[in-house]
Amino acid sequence: MKNSFRTAVFILLTALLSACGGGIAPAPESGTRTVTDGIGRKIELPAEVTRTVSLAPNITEIVFAVGAGGKLVGVTTFCNYPKEAKQISKVGDTLKPNIETIVALRPQVVFVSTASQLEAFTGLLERQGIAVFVTSPDSLEGVFESMVSMGEVLGKAGEARRVVNELRTRVEKVREEVSRTEHEVEQTVFAQIDPSLYTVGKGSFITDLVEIAGGRSVTADIETAYPKVSKETARAFNPRIIILSDSPDNREPNEVFSESEAVREGRIVRIDADVLSRPGPRIVEALELIFKGIHGREAK
Amino acid sequence: MLEVDRIKAGYGGRTVLDGISFSVSDGSITAVLGANGAGKTTLIRLLNRSLDPFDGQVVLDGRPLEELSRRQIARSIAVVAQENETSFPVSVLEFVLAGRFAHGSTFGWESERDLAAARTAIQMCELEGMGQRLMNELSGGERQRVLLARALATEAGTLLLDEPTANLDLSHQAMMFRLVRERTKGCGGSAVVITHDLNLASEFADQILLLKQGKIAACGPPQEVLTTELIAELFQVEVLLDKNPRTGNVRITTVY
Amino acid sequence: MTLDLSKPAGLGKALRYGAGFAALLAVSLAVGTSLGAETLSIFSLSETGSAILFDIRLPRVLLGACVGASLAVAGAGLQALLRNPLAEPYLLGVSNGAALGTMVAIILFGTFEFARPVLAFAGAALATFAVYRIAQSKAGMNAERLILSGVIITTLLSSVIILLTSLLDATRLRSFTFWLLGDLSQATMTGFWVCLVTAVIGTFILSTRARALNLLMVGERDALDFGVEVERTRLAVFAASAGLVGVAVSASGSVGFVGLIVPHLIRLFTGSDNRFVIPFSALFGASFVVLADTFARTLIAPRELPVGAITALIGCPLFIWLLRKN
Repeated sequence: MKNSFRTAVFILLTALLSACGGGIAPAPESGTRTVTDGIGRKIELPAEVTRTVSLAPNITEIVFAVGAGGKLVGVTTFCNYPKEAKQISKVGDTLKPNIETIVALRPQVVFVSTASQLEAFTGLLERQGIAVFVTSPDSLEGVFESMVSMGEVLGKAGEARRVVNELRTRVEKVREEVSRTEHEVEQTVFAQIDPSLYTVGKGSFITDLVEIAGGRSVTADIETAYPKVSKETARAFNPRIIILSDSPDNREPNEVFSESEAVREGRIVRIDADVLSRPGPRIVEALELIFKGIHGREAK
Repeated sequence: MLEVDRIKAGYGGRTVLDGISFSVSDGSITAVLGANGAGKTTLIRLLNRSLDPFDGQVVLDGRPLEELSRRQIARSIAVVAQENETSFPVSVLEFVLAGRFAHGSTFGWESERDLAAARTAIQMCELEGMGQRLMNELSGGERQRVLLARALATEAGTLLLDEPTANLDLSHQAMMFRLVRERTKGCGGSAVVITHDLNLASEFADQILLLKQGKIAACGPPQEVLTTELIAELFQVEVLLDKNPRTGNVRITTVY
Repeated sequence: MTLDLSKPAGLGKALRYGAGFAALLAVSLAVGTSLGAETLSIFSLSETGSAILFDIRLPRVLLGACVGASLAVAGAGLQALLRNPLAEPYLLGVSNGAALGTMVAIILFGTFEFARPVLAFAGAALATFAVYRIAQSKAGMNAERLILSGVIITTLLSSVIILLTSLLDATRLRSFTFWLLGDLSQATMTGFWVCLVTAVIGTFILSTRARALNLLMVGERDALDFGVEVERTRLAVFAASAGLVGVAVSASGSVGFVGLIVPHLIRLFTGSDNRFVIPFSALFGASFVVLADTFARTLIAPRELPVGAITALIGCPLFIWLLRKN
């Protein structure tokens, strides 16, 4: 009883919040509207967007998740999920997208995470009448907000909200399970992003995911988002659980952890690097996998 | 006419030459002799104002050098100095023509006059046919002659030469001094030559300047200046002096 | 090595070579504008095609030409002045000085664009000065010291650039690959005009000093003795080179080795007379960068290689060869 009430309030709040985020105001002239992007820029868009380009893999996943995959006319060479993304024209990679190719595709809006050459780049595209929407979510909440605002831009507001609600429900389940579970000792977690001991710090959403899942990242207090720690420091951590960002060169924990509890007890969680590090819809899947790694069971 | 008036000069805080006064009249050759470090090269640099004195002045044909621009000086005074290796491909003709800089405009090609002067100079230095050879393909002696050709191409009235015979074989040593004499006696120019060769100085110079530690030890015609005492004082060697049977000039033979 | 020295320098030779290099430039520009990630049919351009050609590709190709000309001429001037065929803006650290200057302008003055070439010029000038002072010794300028001090300054400045780009806001500051390997993709017509004016003025200033440089490149004494105002010429050449490098780098990051390769290739054709080397380096440098950039953006299209990587791939083996010849 208590649980369904909480869920209901949660859903209600979510609905209210999504109505406030994104801020689409009807424009005075017909045919265009002004929206605010993820970093507060005001952009003019046509009333209906039919052609769009994504310049980051997580953005591509979001576009498909909100049901607008059919409107994608260009993606980066790194956009490999979902399968359908691989069939779409490539416009370059995330760091150096090819402007000619983008313009040739005639999109109305281009979604960008952080372009390292934002200023000149957006200027060039805007002069061609192509809007640039920057979205750079760095937390679970941020991902949900981004999905909703992007859904609104792409004319899939309803679908976006529905998907976000489903995701929130799954997150809620994990939270519930965590609040019901008691561990004798703190579940210390080390996230190994790269074999040379790149891990996650305060700025990374992975740190938040670990906390929501009931663990504590041993590197949670380091100021930078993706710091690199020394072998000595790593050895001293003695984590109970090790998360591996699974990629061909990062299948095993670093040798400094060979004496750690995580390795001795076999509590190693391998999460596909794309799933773990893209701030997109699969972030919830990562959360669930982390929960499973910590608690040894799935959240029901 | 080149006049040096009470020059005091040096580098940084160090005085190398102190109280030097002498003159070089038109149509004459002055040889500058002295031990290493005595200030010979410094003197040559002062004579075309590549170095400014602390005190005193150098006067060319009545005008102090400080009043003249570098171009004006370069038209009247040419230098044959020790040469550095060039890392760039430069032909003999280009090298010699570059000496005509002071005669040309800032931006433009050499005139017929420039080319004629360069060709004449190349001929005089027995470098005919070598105009297209690259400088860094030549031997030390050949390069030295090109340096002389460059100086001659300027058609300047006064020549300053810093050990011009250092890398030359016998025949070209004689050629060098003969050319200098033609330019001076023949055309009314003047020359100041630094040399270590006492006999060459005796044969060709009208005036010898002996420098010791920045001061003039002696200045005058060879037969006056080249005495066993002075040579012993300056160079710490014993010499025998007699007269060259052919020319009548002082002949110096070192006792080893 | 056969050089065309049958007649000494003259207007006829200048016009013949000039026409040849100008024709090469025209061809390069044509190639650059017709090739790209998108295939355009020049004679029946759609509206999008027209937008791509005139708004995106043309400024890029034109900027590339100006950057190439500027860097090549600066290289030629520095080589003559420093009496060393291995001197060039990138190796001596001048390019990185300009890059750092531009970054400081972005940090301090944000979007005020004209601050960038100005501070780039300051950075380039400071780097030139530093290299010059370090390389001087009592015995005069010496090749090993020059290269060594250049390498030290370049490396030091590269590290500072990488540090700044890692720590500060990457969106405004641009990535270090932009600064260290060059990037023409941010070209605008304004950027092109500024670079064109600088390239023309800089080439003019250096060309008027060409005869003086012919003497200076043989020796400083030689130059003094034959009438060159050495201090003034040196100042003019340093200032012009710093200006050329500064503006080029602030527009496109540092494209290395252009200042090394181009003058050297010109000398293979015309000899070392700077009255040829300087203006023709401008023309050939322009062609060189346009072609290198065309290659960089079509080889793995739609992805792009940094143009500086292409020029380095050509330049490094050439540099090694030059080093061995010396």
